[in-house]
Amino acid sequence: MLRATHVSKSFGATRAVDEVSIEIARGEILGVVGENGAGKTTLMRIAAGELPADSGTVEREGRVDLVHQHFMLVGELTIAENLALVDRARFRFSSRKTIEREAIAKIAESGIELADVSRRVADLSVGEKSKLELIKAISKKPATLVLDEPTSVLTPFEVEELFRVMRRLSSRGTAVVFISHKLPEVLAIAERIVVMRAGRVVEANATTAEELAQVMVGPIGPIGPIGRRGPIGPIGPMGVHFGEIVAIVGVAGNGQTELAAKLRDQLRDAGHIPEDRTRDGIVAEMTIAENLALRAKRWRKREAAGHAQQMIALYSIRANGPQQRAGDLSGGNQQKVILARELDRRPNIIIAAEPARGLDIEATRFVHEQLRAAASAGAAILLITSDLDEAFELADAIQVIYRGTLSDRMSPGEARPRVANLMAGIA
Amino acid sequence: MRRLAYGVVAAIIAIALIALAGAALGHSPRQLLSILVNGSIGSSFAIEGTLLKSVPLLLTGLSVAIAFRAGVWNIGGEGQFIVGALAAFLASRFGVVASLAAAMLAGAAWSSIATAMRMWRNAPEVLTTILLNFIAIQLLGWCVNGPMQESVRQYPQTDTAGAALPSLGGLPIAIVACVVAWWMLYRTAEGLRLRATGFNPFAARWAGVNVSAQIARAMAISGAAAGLAGGIELLGVTHRLFERFAAGYGYSGIAVALLANLHPLATILSGLFFGALVTGAGELQRTANISAAVATLAQAIVILILIVFGAIEKRRRWPS
Amino acid sequence: MAELILEVLPLAIVASTPLLLAVQGELVVQRGGMINLGLEGMMLVAALTSILSARASESALLGFAGGIAGAALIALVFGVFAIHLHADQIVTGTAINLLAVGATSFVYRELPPSLVTQLVAIQGSTAIVPLAWLVFPIVLAIVLWRTSFGLRLRACGENPSAVVAAGHSVVAHRWLALGIESIAAGLAGGYLSLAYSGFAENMTTGRGFFALSIVIFGRWKLRGALAGTALFGIAAALQYALQASARDVPYHLLLAMPYVVTLLILCGVAGKVRPPESLGR
Repeated sequence: MLRATHVSKSFGATRAVDEVSIEIARGEILGVVGENGAGKTTLMRIAAGELPADSGTVEREGRVDLVHQHFMLVGELTIAENLALVDRARFRFSSRKTIEREAIAKIAESGIELADVSRRVADLSVGEKSKLELIKAISKKPATLVLDEPTSVLTPFEVEELFRVMRRLSSRGTAVVFISHKLPEVLAIAERIVVMRAGRVVEANATTAEELAQVMVGPIGPIGPIGRRGPIGPIGPMGVHFGEIVAIVGVAGNGQTELAAKLRDQLRDAGHIPEDRTRDGIVAEMTIAENLALRAKRWRKREAAGHAQQMIALYSIRANGPQQRAGDLSGGNQQKVILARELDRRPNIIIAAEPARGLDIEATRFVHEQLRAAASAGAAILLITSDLDEAFELADAIQVIYRGTLSDRMSPGEARPRVANLMAGIA
Repeated sequence: MRRLAYGVVAAIIAIALIALAGAALGHSPRQLLSILVNGSIGSSFAIEGTLLKSVPLLLTGLSVAIAFRAGVWNIGGEGQFIVGALAAFLASRFGVVASLAAAMLAGAAWSSIATAMRMWRNAPEVLTTILLNFIAIQLLGWCVNGPMQESVRQYPQTDTAGAALPSLGGLPIAIVACVVAWWMLYRTAEGLRLRATGFNPFAARWAGVNVSAQIARAMAISGAAAGLAGGIELLGVTHRLFERFAAGYGYSGIAVALLANLHPLATILSGLFFGALVTGAGELQRTANISAAVATLAQAIVILILIVFGAIEKRRRWPS
Repeated sequence: MAELILEVLPLAIVASTPLLLAVQGELVVQRGGMINLGLEGMMLVAALTSILSARASESALLGFAGGIAGAALIALVFGVFAIHLHADQIVTGTAINLLAVGATSFVYRELPPSLVTQLVAIQGSTAIVPLAWLVFPIVLAIVLWRTSFGLRLRACGENPSAVVAAGHSVVAHRWLALGIESIAAGLAGGYLSLAYSGFAENMTTGRGFFALSIVIFGRWKLRGALAGTALFGIAAALQYALQASARDVPYHLLLAMPYVVTLLILCGVAGKVRPPESLGR
């Protein structure tokens, strides 16, 4: 049982959670949905006690444990050792055998299958890491378990497995909170759904997809097909024609990162949009103008500021001006800076990895428009993404990547029935 | 602007702490401070001494600033200084210009050894540059005791160098170097890319910057600056080489660079400040018998205080 | 050659004792995710404080204790900056070395020389040798790999967020690691002055950097640390032997040997070196 009353939390000028009151009953499976940046994670972190609220109260019965979106595992240690990390004992002698024995017990109790606890976590598949995080959380015996975007790295089969575990926990009296931005999944498993937008709860009892969609986002304009044609030019073993978009889909961790990095080094002059925007995309300490000029031949302060001003207008970047520190921009605007820098040169080849990750509907729409426009202007675009919707919306051809190998090219129609299997490694 | 204030405050606190330390050992702080000030800027003789001491510091500071700006840890200023002076001595028979050019080349070569080890063997340059310092010191010792020893073979030092700079001739050279470095870093595209590499080498690589080339170039320029410092010190001040020629100029460069917030133009002011400090400390030793090591202490304290200010800045930005 | 090595082995072991202690201390700290370049400064300060306290108390034990106290003082500064202020560890470490050099020289010159130098080694100081080569490694191996504390400390060096997520304090673990390094560096610095002729300015001559290099060479493992130090010690001892016998090998070039050897060590780590994931962050 968990009750939060009038909870608020701000980070600097941003109000992440705004006067939210929410209740979770014993054994309930609650879905929390909303766009990126709606405040779902922050609210749950406050509920779990990880973050202090600025105002409001939280009443808890028993532990509230959070399974984070990003893995909090130590790759160099084994499964058993990672499970041993949660031990409260200050200083305890323990041999490898003891740790492994205890780990096996914890796994058995959770009802999740994970074999061979002596394996190094770095060698596990993404799905297995996900399971390990879950087992870790369950072993702490919480009264409420919060799962933050647990399905983003799972194949459709693994998602089913997860749902089974959630139902099992629920029948034993553990409340499960399922945070996600994927509506169909939430509808499939949750008994009740809470919708958040801009830090507030806008609906506490939605049940159908249409209801949810209406509440979450505004009206969406029509997106028509744009004709594509052009001369042929392959890239490596993959083959992307000029003027077309090929999407490489797959669950994260199957070689996409390595592929993108290799292409970056081989195709120096292509436009590259990196997966990890904050680390690889912009230089946070430099201004927008400086970031935009990184590929330029010349650097004249006034020229660069003028160019940056143009880009800000063209790409609708919400910023104070060309001299603003790039690190101060929101994620969506940072992505626009990257797009401006890479696309404005009109490169012949564009490699875009997870270009709309973490962006809200509007920003996502903008990014997709830019990519389509580039393609119709004749560029060959390789889209690396784990978002199937994005892939099917944009691509002329689809390939699936699994453990570093690419499947054959398929048209979107051919791909639709096969993609789930291919992503799980089943031919 | 705030950075300037931090620098000034750091400098003041450091001097105050030194005065306090002196007080703890029985000296009057006011007297210490007056000796420090008079000894560094209280007379034309003192000012000349300060300027003389500032020249190598300006350049070693510049050396560190350029390297740190690119994200490379060049702690090898000491060794590059020595090697630069050695090369300057050997080339001194060909005139000042050739001699200083040789100094720069030698300094660049010495730092590039560390670069090569980093590129090919992943050897961390923070350690290799320090080790190369020690090696350079022994190299110098061998040279002045052996093949390069003076003709009369009496002391472990060389003959007088074949060329000479007028007394403060190195100062304009050093200042010009700082201005050129500033222009290169802040007014050219390559300089932009070098700075980007220092801030975030990952993002720089994704933006098409050749990070390895930037690092190699930065290290070479950095080494050249330190080497130049050594050459100027030889031709303009000592006129011959001997053991303990470097006397910590390389390491002091770190404090100079950090006080200047790694900005080449600010390095000029920072170099002058530390030059004054060293000169004043020398006077302190002469008159009050306080070890000149206070200068080293002051450098360390300045760096630590600047770090504290940096941490405060960070907390302002992201309070969490 | 083999005979020569056997001959110098005892000397190598004894002479590289302070290095071994420093290596082990730094190993613990780096496994915990920090780089302490200030190790050099810690040993230097320890060398001074140990002889001062030994002189005052006429006891080797208290001398070493004084050494540990001195090292701990420097570790305190480093810890505040690196752990709490999140300062850049390399710049901090360099500043600390300058601080140590400046402070020890300053104090040294203010004191009468008889207080800090000695003609004969202090009684009992050689007990450190078996301590460094036998006791310390065994205790370290148990603590780091057979206790819950050690597990968490190693996790701090790989992924501190995971440790925090598991409900433990990365800060506390790193401070404890610094405490262990203070003991090691304190004993090392103490040995340098107590077992020989007392304190001299800059007497550590880069041992701290040798230690850092050996930690890397040994791939952050205890076995590698021991082997690396032994190798280094043998090389250094051979240098002395050569110096004694071959008179026409230039003195300075021989002095440069340990540094050259260390450079080779750093280059000789074939292939990609994999440090603890969160080292220095």
